[in-house]
Amino acid sequence: MTRNAEGALILAAALMAAFGVALVNIAGQQPIGADVALTFFVMVTAFGALHAAVRRWAPKGTPYLLPLAALLAAVGLSEIYRLNPEMASLQKWWILIGAGLGILTLWGLSSVGTQILRRYRYIMLLLAMGLLVLPLLPQQWPLPIRGLAVNGSRLWVSLDLGFIEMRFQPGEIVKLLMVAFLASFLAERQAALTMRTRKVGPFEFPEPRQMIPILVAWFASFGVMVYQRDLGASLLLFSAFIAMMYAATGRNTYLVVGGGLFTIGAAAAWSAFAHVQTRLEAWLVPFEHYETTGYQISNGIFALASGSLSGTGLGLGRPSLIAFAPTDFIFAAVGEELGLVGSVLILAMYALIISVGMGIALRSRDLFRKLLAAGLTFTFGLQSLLIIGGIVRLFPLTGITLPFMSYGGSSLVANFVLIALLIRISHEERV
Amino acid sequence: MNSPIRRLTLALLIGFCLLLANVVYIQAVAADRYRSDHRNARVQLARSERERGVMVDRSGAVLVSSEGQASTFLRTYPFGDLLGHPIGFSSLLFGDRGLEAAYATDLRSKQDLTISNVIAGILGNDLRPANLRLTIDVALQQVAAEALGDQVGAVVAIEPSTGAILAYVSTPGFDPALLIGGEAGPAGDTLDADPAEPLRDRVVNQLYAPGSIFKIVTTAAALESGEITVESTFSNPTALALPGSESTISNADGHTCGSGAEVSLARGFVLSCNTTFAQIAMTLGAGALEAQAEAFGFGSEIPFVFPVAESMFSPVDLADDLPALAQTSIGQRDVRVTPLHMALMVAGIANRGDLMSPYLVSEIIDGDGQIVTTTQPAPWRKASSESTALAITQLMVDAVNSGTGAGARIDGVQVAGKTGTAENPDQAPHAWFVGFAPADQPTIAIAVVVEFGGLAGDEASGGQTAAPIAQKTMERWLKP
Repeated sequence: MTRNAEGALILAAALMAAFGVALVNIAGQQPIGADVALTFFVMVTAFGALHAAVRRWAPKGTPYLLPLAALLAAVGLSEIYRLNPEMASLQKWWILIGAGLGILTLWGLSSVGTQILRRYRYIMLLLAMGLLVLPLLPQQWPLPIRGLAVNGSRLWVSLDLGFIEMRFQPGEIVKLLMVAFLASFLAERQAALTMRTRKVGPFEFPEPRQMIPILVAWFASFGVMVYQRDLGASLLLFSAFIAMMYAATGRNTYLVVGGGLFTIGAAAAWSAFAHVQTRLEAWLVPFEHYETTGYQISNGIFALASGSLSGTGLGLGRPSLIAFAPTDFIFAAVGEELGLVGSVLILAMYALIISVGMGIALRSRDLFRKLLAAGLTFTFGLQSLLIIGGIVRLFPLTGITLPFMSYGGSSLVANFVLIALLIRISHEERV
Repeated sequence: MNSPIRRLTLALLIGFCLLLANVVYIQAVAADRYRSDHRNARVQLARSERERGVMVDRSGAVLVSSEGQASTFLRTYPFGDLLGHPIGFSSLLFGDRGLEAAYATDLRSKQDLTISNVIAGILGNDLRPANLRLTIDVALQQVAAEALGDQVGAVVAIEPSTGAILAYVSTPGFDPALLIGGEAGPAGDTLDADPAEPLRDRVVNQLYAPGSIFKIVTTAAALESGEITVESTFSNPTALALPGSESTISNADGHTCGSGAEVSLARGFVLSCNTTFAQIAMTLGAGALEAQAEAFGFGSEIPFVFPVAESMFSPVDLADDLPALAQTSIGQRDVRVTPLHMALMVAGIANRGDLMSPYLVSEIIDGDGQIVTTTQPAPWRKASSESTALAITQLMVDAVNSGTGAGARIDGVQVAGKTGTAENPDQAPHAWFVGFAPADQPTIAIAVVVEFGGLAGDEASGGQTAAPIAQKTMERWLKP
């Protein structure tokens, strides 16, 4: 596939977003208005600029990722517009900001390359830690940056610039920084971690002192997230950690130990947090707890089932009956209106992004880039898997966003940067 | 280095295959079950968010309408329980009944969520729900229901020449408003558990022994046979011994049929003498009587908007069982009828032997008030020759003027009628009246049944209990 094809597909995705908004207008028996043009403009501007940036600074980068991200964003944006036009206009801003940060990433790495990330790993770690504790800032104090509790979780930071108050979840960016840190650290110590090992029964462990920085990093971030009750993000980070250790060493030990730690952690979470217990209950028997804990999941299932094979059509279902439809449950809302056909296509797009991302990792000759690409793709894939799995009852529900589709600035921005990084890595490998 | 990455990729993709399986299960395999789950608010909203068509009576009075504006419509029933049975309801918890069910497609707004209707809307098609004009006259319905009062029973009034139903009363009734909405559970359960069965539509869904109103069928059989005329005479015993058995048939008062040793068919009809009709039936034989009953629609499905219980002549062959034939001829034994069928039968006599198909909806009207469909009266079956029908009409006139049907007389209008008092083992009789008026140019035919004698109980009779209800109803129609 060529760069030109990438551009054409991005244009097609922008047209689809505009078409989706037009369909919502028609279904709502409103005139097809400025929103259609605005949606098209935003999509073309954001992804077109990103496309231009790729041409300029990563011309050999993979052409597959941008069109897929654009298409997911198009479907998500149409559905958010259908649910809440005001949220959709905010989402448009976030798409522009996210694309801007993606371009900034490509530009920033254009001369120094991703190796710069490898070099400054401890700065990234510190940055991650700092961002992680930001939400714990007091909610009331003189400084314009404050912690914020939304829906009972201290995950948000409010940046009050006087004329505008911006809110973001630093957790999403922390994820990227931690993956980059881990890739760098593991690439550096790979030999030490795999060669000098101690045998404990059937398992081989590296020298404990080789592990200290990584364990400190992990415990700190994991601890803060648990303290903030962001169990979805904790699980994601934990899994990324284990997966990258496994990818770096190829030792099954990490999978076994990781599985064990997960079991202990899950048991601890289950006994410590009442909301973990209710979520488990809601997962196993949502319809028996319909009035209380099972309500959200049951309604997600009702929405999907009401969509059936071909869906009600965009703007013609009742996805507003789903709680948290624009954020956690965007997949159920899309499934209701676009049907099984739409659901399967969305699953296919995520699976394609995973395949492309992992393909970049597999083809990378440089260990750091290999681990970075694998880690980024794995977090992206696992996050999609966990939230969709929570909706279709494959897993208990975790309150995380669906990359590129869910409403939410931090998530969009982080995923734009993630895609930009993957494109940059593939470019560097081909130069 | 690459093989662990391959395995991680494989793990993620297997995860996505499991997602795919779950999504296919939810959206395809089990979709219907989840979609129709009563807790799925879409089911409830689909009813209340959409406007439904209006039903008006024959003169335009609104009987049911959807009140409200976009997305919050409430079905309202200004006449409450008066029209519960014919109008019915569309209820989340109790399903759909009556005309609301039968005309669901017309009454539904097309401003809904299907692709085809959205396209139709873009093309400028009318998406508003259609409305129904019923044949019912709500004032007549009110008079009939008031005349029946708290008694259990039914009144059906029909325009003989068309089959249009003018009144459709089944008591006790119910207010459909109680059964709609998501909170209707307790009220509906109460109605359902009521021993008086208010949810049972007695007009079409309850079979009664007809008693002496069945003598119309026996008379028609006799006159159609050509062997018997209204002047033919029969013996006049106090009690008629039935051959081949020890049982007898006697008249309601236990006396002979008037004075004299001989009695004519005409006199037997006017005084409703069982002894006379038992002899007529035994003279005709079972075959002729059964054929005549079939001509009146016994054992046939009545073509109607609602399913109607089939009236029954006899479950067994009566050819060799003269006592059973004798009892059948006076509407006892195993004869069972619905009130709607009896109204059709007497309307057929009024219409000179032609039974019309009954109907409740005369017009389907679009959102602009334009008539989309008009119901054309359709003949159902020929029950007898015109001369037989006219002869029976005369007998019914005499029955009202000088016989058992005196309670149905209307000043200045000639009424034709026949009473029935159907015996029930160990219980009070059902009181019946069927008739029509004016006798020469009938505009209304009526059947009234008061279940188990109503307020009169064991003392009830067709003439005393049912005829006055018919009289009040027909008088309202003829002298509005």
